[in-house]
Amino acid sequence: MSRLNERFTKLYKIGLVITFAYFLLVLFYDIHNLGTDRKRYLSEHYISQGVQETGATNLVASVLYDYRAFDTLGEATMILTAATVLAFLVPITKATMFGTPFKSIVNQTVKLIIPYIAVLGAYLILFGHISPGGGFVGGVVLSIIAILLTLTYSVEFSEYIFKPDQKKFIEDIGAIGFVLLGLLGIFTGSNFLSNGQANFGTGNAGEVFSAGLMPFINLMIGLKVSAGLAIIFNSLIKEK
Amino acid sequence: MIDIIFHLLFLFLIITAFFMVFTKDLSNSVITLPLFGAILVIIFVILQAPGVALAAAIMTAGLTTAFFVITINKTEYGRNE
Repeated sequence: MSRLNERFTKLYKIGLVITFAYFLLVLFYDIHNLGTDRKRYLSEHYISQGVQETGATNLVASVLYDYRAFDTLGEATMILTAATVLAFLVPITKATMFGTPFKSIVNQTVKLIIPYIAVLGAYLILFGHISPGGGFVGGVVLSIIAILLTLTYSVEFSEYIFKPDQKKFIEDIGAIGFVLLGLLGIFTGSNFLSNGQANFGTGNAGEVFSAGLMPFINLMIGLKVSAGLAIIFNSLIKEK
Repeated sequence: MIDIIFHLLFLFLIITAFFMVFTKDLSNSVITLPLFGAILVIIFVILQAPGVALAAAIMTAGLTTAFFVITINKTEYGRNE
C-alpha cells in the first residue's frame, strides 16, 4: 500500500510540473503574438519622442523617472517600509557570525576591491540617465560594500565603519528628498513629479547635467536603496 | 553561428534550472543559482537589453546568493557532522 502511495505521489509531482510547463508555454505563446495584430501607440510615442521630451538618452530611465515616476516612488517606499519593519522586528542582540574564519588572502582582496565597487556604484548612479544603470542598480552596488564588510570581517566592524544612525539618516534623506523634488514640479505650475513638461530645461541630451531633475532623483534613489539594503542585511544577520 | 550559441545557452539554462530544483544537497542548489543568473545575463546582452542585464547580474549573482548563504548558515543544515 505504501509503495503504491509513493508511486502516486511521484506521479502527482511529475504531473504538476508538466501542467505548469504547458501553462507557461501557452502563456508565452499568447504574449509573443500579442502585438502583431494591434498597434501600440504609447511605446511608439516613447521611442520616437522620448529623447526630445525628457532629454535622457537612456529611454528606460526616461520612462522610470519621468513618465512613470509615481510608480518609482511606490517602489522606493516599499524598500523603506521593509527596512523600517525589519529594524523594528529584529531584537538587538550580540551578533553570531560564521564558524569559519577567513584566511588573510580573502581579507586583503576585499580591502583591494572595495574602492572599485564604490566608483562603479557612483558611476551607475550619476550616469543613470545617459547609459544603462540607474538609481536602483547603483544603490545595490553601493550596499554590497557594507555586505562584504559584514561577511568577511564581522557585524561589529561593519557597524563601526557605517554607523546605524548614519545609515538611517541617509535613507531618510533619500526618502524625503525624492518627495521634495517631486513637489518642485507643483511649485512651477505642473503636476507632481513632472520633469519634461515642467520646463526645467532639458539641456543637451548626453551631458551629465541634463534631463532636468533626473540626475538628482537618481541620486536620491541611490542613497535610499544603498542605505536600506545595508540596514536589511545587517538586521537579518543579527537574528539568531 | 549566433543562433547555435543562443540555443545552447537556452539549453544550459534549462539544465541548471532543473539541477537547482531537483538536487539533494542544498548548498549545491544555492551555488547553481549564480550560474543560472550568469547564463541569463549573457542571453540579455545578446538580446540588447543592457539595463536588465545589469540588474539581473547584481541581483542574482550578488545579492541573492549572499542572502541564501546567510539563511542556510542560520539553519541547522550541515552542522550535525
